Amino acid sequence: MVILHAGLCPGLTAEMIQLLKANGIQTVVDFISSDLEEVAQKCSLSYKALVAVRRVLLAQFSAFPINGADLYEELKSSMAILSTGSKSLDKLLDSGLYTGEVLELMGAPGSGKTQVCLSIAASVSHSLKQNVLFIDSTGGFTASRLLQLVQSRTEEEEEQVEALQRIQVAHVFDIYKMLAALQELRHCMSQQVVCSVGPVKLLVVDSVSAVVCPLLGGRQSEGLALMMQLARELKTLAREFGLATVPTGIQVELDIGGYEALEERPGASGEEL
Amino acid sequence: MQRDLGSLPLAPALRARLVGAGFSTAQELLEVGPCELSKEIGISKEEALETLQVIRQECDSNAVRTGGDPTALRKCTALELLEQEQAQGFVITFCSALDDMLGGGVQLTKITEICGAPGVGKTQLCMQLAVDVQIPECFGGLAGEAVYIDTEGSFMVERVVDIATACVQHCQLIAEAQQEEDHHKALETFSLEGILSHMYYFRCHDYTELLAQIYLLPDFLSEHSKVRLVAVDGIAFPFRHDFEDLSLRTRLLNGLAQQLISIANDHKLAVILTNQMTTRIGQSQSTLVPALGESWGHAATIRLILHWDNNQRLATLYKSPSQKESTVPYCVTPHGFRDVQPPPPSQTPEGSEMNPRKRPRIEEDKQ
Repeated sequence: MVILHAGLCPGLTAEMIQLLKANGIQTVVDFISSDLEEVAQKCSLSYKALVAVRRVLLAQFSAFPINGADLYEELKSSMAILSTGSKSLDKLLDSGLYTGEVLELMGAPGSGKTQVCLSIAASVSHSLKQNVLFIDSTGGFTASRLLQLVQSRTEEEEEQVEALQRIQVAHVFDIYKMLAALQELRHCMSQQVVCSVGPVKLLVVDSVSAVVCPLLGGRQSEGLALMMQLARELKTLAREFGLATVPTGIQVELDIGGYEALEERPGASGEEL
Repeated sequence: MQRDLGSLPLAPALRARLVGAGFSTAQELLEVGPCELSKEIGISKEEALETLQVIRQECDSNAVRTGGDPTALRKCTALELLEQEQAQGFVITFCSALDDMLGGGVQLTKITEICGAPGVGKTQLCMQLAVDVQIPECFGGLAGEAVYIDTEGSFMVERVVDIATACVQHCQLIAEAQQEEDHHKALETFSLEGILSHMYYFRCHDYTELLAQIYLLPDFLSEHSKVRLVAVDGIAFPFRHDFEDLSLRTRLLNGLAQQLISIANDHKLAVILTNQMTTRIGQSQSTLVPALGESWGHAATIRLILHWDNNQRLATLYKSPSQKESTVPYCVTPHGFRDVQPPPPSQTPEGSEMNPRKRPRIEEDKQ
C-alpha cells in the first residue's frame, strides 16, 4: 500500500493530494479502486486529470503477466545446479542444489546439519568457484573445520586460501539482525554493488530455528509473523537473484502442547537429510 | 532502503497503527516528520520521535557497511575467521586428555555444555576453568577474568582456594624450571588473592534472577572487558522444578541460549553451562540423557557428557563442530581436575606379599 504523495507521478500535485485525503483517499489502492466520477465531483477536480493520473499509477504499480513458454526459456537459461560435493547427496537432490530454490535441512541435535552446511559451502566455493554467504546464528561455524574440508579437496595452499576468501560469514543471533542481514544482501544484489568479492550464488543459514524458536508459542502471533517474514525473504532472495538457499532447522520429537495452529517444528516441510 | 515494517523491532500495537495508516516500508516513514507522524497515527509526539529514531538507527546501521561501527552487520571472510581462531587461545582444563579431545581446551566464542549425573565433577570442572582462565599468558593461559553464576549453591570458596593454590604452585614450578623474567613478573600478580579477586560471583535463586542476570551481563562485561569465561553452574536447576508452562520454558531457554551465544561472540569469551541428566524411558530400556529437552540440545555448540564406568570417571565429547567424538578418563584430586595417573607398574592385584623385600610405591599426588 503506497501512500499518495506529491511527485509520485506527473500530474499529482500537493493540492490534489490534500483534497483526496480530505475525502478519505490516502493510498494508491484507494485511488485506483474508487469511482473517479464521484471523486471528481466531491473533490471538484478535473475528471480528465484524474484518469490520466490513474493510468500512470496503474502502469507504475501493477505486475505484468508472463507466459509459460517465456518463463520456461528464462529458467532454462538462468537456472544452475550446484553440486553439493557428495555424490549420494547429489543423487538424493536430483543432481544437486537448484538455484532459485530453498532447500531445508532438518535434524536432531548432533546429527550433522552444520557439517553438511560446511561441506556444501566448501564444495561450492572450491570446486565451482562461486561466492557463498554463510549466516551463522548458533556459533557452530568453525573456520578450522572448514579448512579441513577444503584441504581434503585440494593440497595447494593458494587454492585453499582462495576458497576460504570466497566464503563470507555473518554472525547474527536474533531475528531482527537476521532480517537486516537478508535485506542488506537483497539491497546489495539489486544494486549490483560488488560487495568486495562479487555476486553471491549460495546462501546458507545455520540455523533458522535458533532465532525463530524464542518467538513461537504462547498466545501471541507476532512470532509467526516474523517467521513468515523470514521465510518470504529467503524465498524472494532465491527467486529474484537466482541463489540456492539452505536454511537449517531443528526437529523436536515430543509435542509440548500449547501450539494451536502450529506444528512445533518450524518449517516442517522439507527434505529430511 | 526499502525495509519492510514487519522486520523492524517495533511494538505490535504501533505497527498495527502504522500499517492501518498505509505505511509499508521504512523509507516512507523516514520521509515523514515526527509531528506529521503523530497526527497521522494518533500517537504522542515523543512516541513518534522514538519510533523514527529506532527506524533511522536500523536503517543507518545497514547503510554503514565498513568502518568501525560496532552495531553494523559484521561480515568477514572465512579466511579472516580462520586467522582469528588460530590466534585465539583456549581455556585449559589441566587434564591433558580432555584438552586434546577438545582440540586444545575450552574454545572461546562458543558455548560448551557439561552434562552429568550428580557427583561426577561438573562443578569441579567449572571451578577449575574459572581458575585456569586467569593463568598468565607466558604460562600458556589467557590472563582473563571469570564470571561465575551459581544457581544451585554448590560453589565452595574453600575448594577454589585449594584449586588456585595448586595452580599457582604449578606455575611456580614452571617458572623455577625455566627461569625467564616475565614468568617471575607474572607470578607477582598471579597469586591466591589475585585469582580470587578476579572471579566475579553471582548467586541466582530462581529463573527470573538468572534471566535478568544474563540479560544484564553485557553491561557488566563492557565495564570488565578482561572477562574471558562465563560459567553458569546449573542452568537446568531453576527451569526444572516448579515450571508448569513447558512452552514458555522452551521459549525462555531458547532466548537465553541466543543471548549467551551473542555475548560469547561479541566479547570473545567462553561460556560454560552445566546441565543435569534425566531418564528417557524407551520401549525396552531407559537411558540417561541430558535434561531440558531436545530443543535445548541445539543451544550448546559443544556438548560434553561426564559419566561413571565402575569407579572410573569418563568424559565423552558428544557434540562438536570440529572434533571427533571420543571418551577420555579423568579424575578429581585434592588439587582439582586432573588426568588419571597411570597405575604404578609394580603393583599386582595380590599386593606386596609377592615380594616382601620391595616396599610398595606410595602414589603422591603431584602434577
